[in-house]
Amino acid sequence: MTSHVSAALAPGGDIPAPHIEYGQIMPILLVLGVAVAGVLVEAFVGRTWRYTVQVPLAFLGLAGGFAWTIVLGLRDETHAVAAEGALGVDGPTLFLQGTILILALVSLLLIADRGTGSFAAQAAALPGSEAEQRTTAAGIIQTEVFPLLMFAVGGMLIFPASNDLLTMFVGLEVMSLPLYLLCGLARRRRLLSQEAAVKYFLLGSFSSAFFLYGIALLYGYAGSVKLGDIAAEAGRDAGSETLLLGGIALLALGLLFKLGAVPFHMWKPDVYQGAPTPITALMASCTLVSAFGAMLRVFFVAFENLTWEWRPAMWGVSIITMIAGAVIAITQTDIKRMLAYSSIAHAGFLLTGVIATSREGLSSTLFYLAAYGFTTVGAFAVVTTVRDAGGEAGHLSRWAGLGKRSPLIAGVFAFFLLAFAGIPLTSGFTGKFAVFKAAVEADATPLVVVGVISSAIAAFFYVRVIVVMFFSEPEADGPTVVVSPATAAAVVLGLAATVVLGVLPQPVLDLAGHAATQMFVR
Amino acid sequence: MDLYVPIIVLGVLAFAFAAGSVAMAAVTGPKRWNRAKLEAYECGIEPTPQPVGGGRFPIKYYLTAMLFIVFDIEIIFLYPWAVAFDRLGIFGLVEMVLFILTVLVAYAYIWRRGGLEWD
Amino acid sequence: MSPLAAAPAADPTLQDFGKDPWWLIGGKVLVIFVFLVLTVLISMWVERRVIGRMQLRVGPNRHGPFGLLQGLADGVKLALKEDIVPRQVDKVVFVLAPILSAVPAFISFIIIPFGPNVSVFGHQTALQGTDLPVAVLLVLAMSSIGVYGIVLAGWSSMSPYSLLGGLRSSAQVISYEIAMGLSFVAVFLFAGSMSTSDIVAAQHDTWFAVLLFPSFVVYVITMMGESNRIPFDLPEGEGELVGGFHTEYSSLKFAMFFLAEYINLATLSALATTLFLGGWRAPAPISTVWAGANSGWWPVLWFMVKLWLFIFFFIWLRGSLPRVRYDQLMKLGWKILMPFSLGWILLVAAIRAFKNEGYDMQQITIVTVVVAAAILGGTILWEMLRGGEGEEGAAAEAGAAPADPFAGGFPVPPLDAPHYHGRTAGTGARAATIGTRSEEVTRGTH
Repeated sequence: MTSHVSAALAPGGDIPAPHIEYGQIMPILLVLGVAVAGVLVEAFVGRTWRYTVQVPLAFLGLAGGFAWTIVLGLRDETHAVAAEGALGVDGPTLFLQGTILILALVSLLLIADRGTGSFAAQAAALPGSEAEQRTTAAGIIQTEVFPLLMFAVGGMLIFPASNDLLTMFVGLEVMSLPLYLLCGLARRRRLLSQEAAVKYFLLGSFSSAFFLYGIALLYGYAGSVKLGDIAAEAGRDAGSETLLLGGIALLALGLLFKLGAVPFHMWKPDVYQGAPTPITALMASCTLVSAFGAMLRVFFVAFENLTWEWRPAMWGVSIITMIAGAVIAITQTDIKRMLAYSSIAHAGFLLTGVIATSREGLSSTLFYLAAYGFTTVGAFAVVTTVRDAGGEAGHLSRWAGLGKRSPLIAGVFAFFLLAFAGIPLTSGFTGKFAVFKAAVEADATPLVVVGVISSAIAAFFYVRVIVVMFFSEPEADGPTVVVSPATAAAVVLGLAATVVLGVLPQPVLDLAGHAATQMFVR
Repeated sequence: MDLYVPIIVLGVLAFAFAAGSVAMAAVTGPKRWNRAKLEAYECGIEPTPQPVGGGRFPIKYYLTAMLFIVFDIEIIFLYPWAVAFDRLGIFGLVEMVLFILTVLVAYAYIWRRGGLEWD
Repeated sequence: MSPLAAAPAADPTLQDFGKDPWWLIGGKVLVIFVFLVLTVLISMWVERRVIGRMQLRVGPNRHGPFGLLQGLADGVKLALKEDIVPRQVDKVVFVLAPILSAVPAFISFIIIPFGPNVSVFGHQTALQGTDLPVAVLLVLAMSSIGVYGIVLAGWSSMSPYSLLGGLRSSAQVISYEIAMGLSFVAVFLFAGSMSTSDIVAAQHDTWFAVLLFPSFVVYVITMMGESNRIPFDLPEGEGELVGGFHTEYSSLKFAMFFLAEYINLATLSALATTLFLGGWRAPAPISTVWAGANSGWWPVLWFMVKLWLFIFFFIWLRGSLPRVRYDQLMKLGWKILMPFSLGWILLVAAIRAFKNEGYDMQQITIVTVVVAAAILGGTILWEMLRGGEGEEGAAAEAGAAPADPFAGGFPVPPLDAPHYHGRTAGTGARAATIGTRSEEVTRGTH
């Protein structure tokens, strides 16, 4: 003991400085740096100027990160580990990071839109209190939203890039903690929003604990938290099987929670409904992309030799996720809850791509994520525009006759719904086709059959919304459609991506295929 | 483990002394029952009824505890850095300056938002 | 580069520990225990006598020669008092709290070095209970556990005074623990170790109190805060909280809190001696004149002298300083000591790093002075710019409530002054208060 201690404390022997490839991880550093700068803005800029400073700052951070990611992607040697093996910089990671950044930019259009006023004036003020009325009357907006958003996006960029489980956990927490807060910041129906935040926080903490416990078990098994080392140890078929399987199960549980796969989906409808709609858009697109990125990396790298162990369970999860998501969505009457269940069903479709564990599976999942992300941001952007006295008109019955009141918005929304359903000439069809094709090639035909059936079930409730919008009479005191320029831009971007990826998917399919050629670095 | 043996021995001795003293007081002291003596002391007026579990107290204390955790963790990172400082070279210094500056950003935010005020 | 290599072979370092036979361990532990109990008894007597002298009184002089047995008499008296457990308390926690307060106080002292290697019945050993690679952390950990004793005592008593006292005390202790922890960093930086014997060895040439004077000052201030004593004794401010967290305690349970407080006093003083005043090393004139001053049993004497000087300093402060207000206390801890310590650490680290890299010491000094002057100048400028606002605000406040402190011929605080419990007499003043509050709300500082 003593000698051991003295050896550790013995003077001399310089500790070598770690080598950080700043250039390769610059998108992450840039986004987090802007987040820190945003906190400084909050501290030192007067209230009247904060919004004016924060919005361009956030835009510049995200756009800069996106540009840098593209530059990294254009180089040839994008297959390396950075920061002493903590982060992987490879094709899939760059594709995912680029997707997250561009989707975050579109979400930022919604978040920054002052006209819709989605965020609370003073989050600390009690709902219904005098302080709340006063701050609302003063026209204040809680501008901490922007640094929080940037922190969340920074975590989302780390999460799929992390090459060891501890970095992954850090990414998970940096991503989740700001999101918990953002969920509770809705300007209207604040109690619902705060309830959503608390639910998300509690369940998210549980899942983080499971994730961490899984890391502990895998470390006990492999003696390392690096994904590559775990794969090597599993390949040698040595060590305790119990630790390994327990570790896989708990780790998968933590990841599946973030995806919202059944049976870990309980938080999703409540949180999507309660959170401010721009934040819902962010979570439904960026968080999903990020979580699937991490899922792909863990299962393609660390557990690549263990497909026989985890595949049956993942089959089960995928099947019940597809079916439960589609079936429960039918009973929903709130538009945001319905979209939440739709998101759950889509998580099931995406899981079939993960189960394929092939290069096609990887590339098709990447494509699906990008396509679905744009569609869902667009759909939630439309939701923010349909408003009545109490804020957004969430109930489905309020949308009756929207086609007559505002044919354009109703038409756009109908198109998004058709894309969710996977009708040809939309991006949803291309994505589903690619994923199912990869699954069939990987001998998962039963999964594809289930997928097609549940798509048909899902199409029912999408069509039902369209019917309500176009074939029923509008209420006299029905909601009005308010479209401000930023929201309109978000809707247009979502729509354009959905159309282009449906009609001319080949460039993006090629890009995803190119990104996936070398698979993940280890 | 040899280094820790004296700590455990002293801990046991101190515990025996403290627990023994507390137990002894029950034997050596007198016992004269009086209802007023068993009430909470509030300078002679009727004691305020206390809610079960202690009730609520100002959130300032909670905030202080959270801030303490943040900055205590910063200190815990500073200690190993300080001990190994000569071996880390300039890189260690630069990294620690960045770390301290990052925490200072949070500190500035707290300060400007009145998190450190007691009135 | 390494201060350890420079120390002579006779000085104990971390490698010398963990080799004692069982009888020596037992002996050391017993000596430390008895030493602490005696220190408490004597320091109580010293405190009362010194305070007495400072207040032109005599102080206790009845029990034993010069009243030396006063502490013992107090202890016996407490033991013979009724041990009241009020009806409403949470009994288990109520009984546990004083024990939880006293035990960690004892444990901290085990890592304090009393002297160098000596021969005890032919066995070479250091005059120190034990040493750890993280010895100073043990002290911090034990002081943190001691806070549990205070909080739980306050909470389990189910009495408003106790609860408030316990909360205040814990908030104060943890606030000052930040600054205290930061003041240690520079010491670890120069000693290259957290073990107390290594730190003493590293002060072979220069005491850290000289080398790292700002750290020393911060430590001395924070140890006042940590010990819950005047000028920072708000948790027990008898004018407002009766006895604070130990209001409901009596008999030997109360004695345990008392014991813990005085042991903490001794521990903090001993830690200050060890970390900043060269530990058991003889002060400069003695060690230069007399080579044998730092070997054998003599260092125990130097250690005791330094320890008691510190305890005397504590008592002296108690005799001369008034109690600060709670917001001032927190402001000092969070807004002054903490940023100052962080800045000081960065400065020290930068200087040391450049020195290690082989830069010229003179250059470093010049650059440091320039940077420090620039920062100071900037701060003064900032304060001057802000000072204008502050004065305006003060003037507005003064205009609102003109009060005559000698109304009625006696110096009484005016009851309607707005800062007394926030209550105001006139409606105009009340409207003004509400106005401020709404402004605070919109500013986001409420």
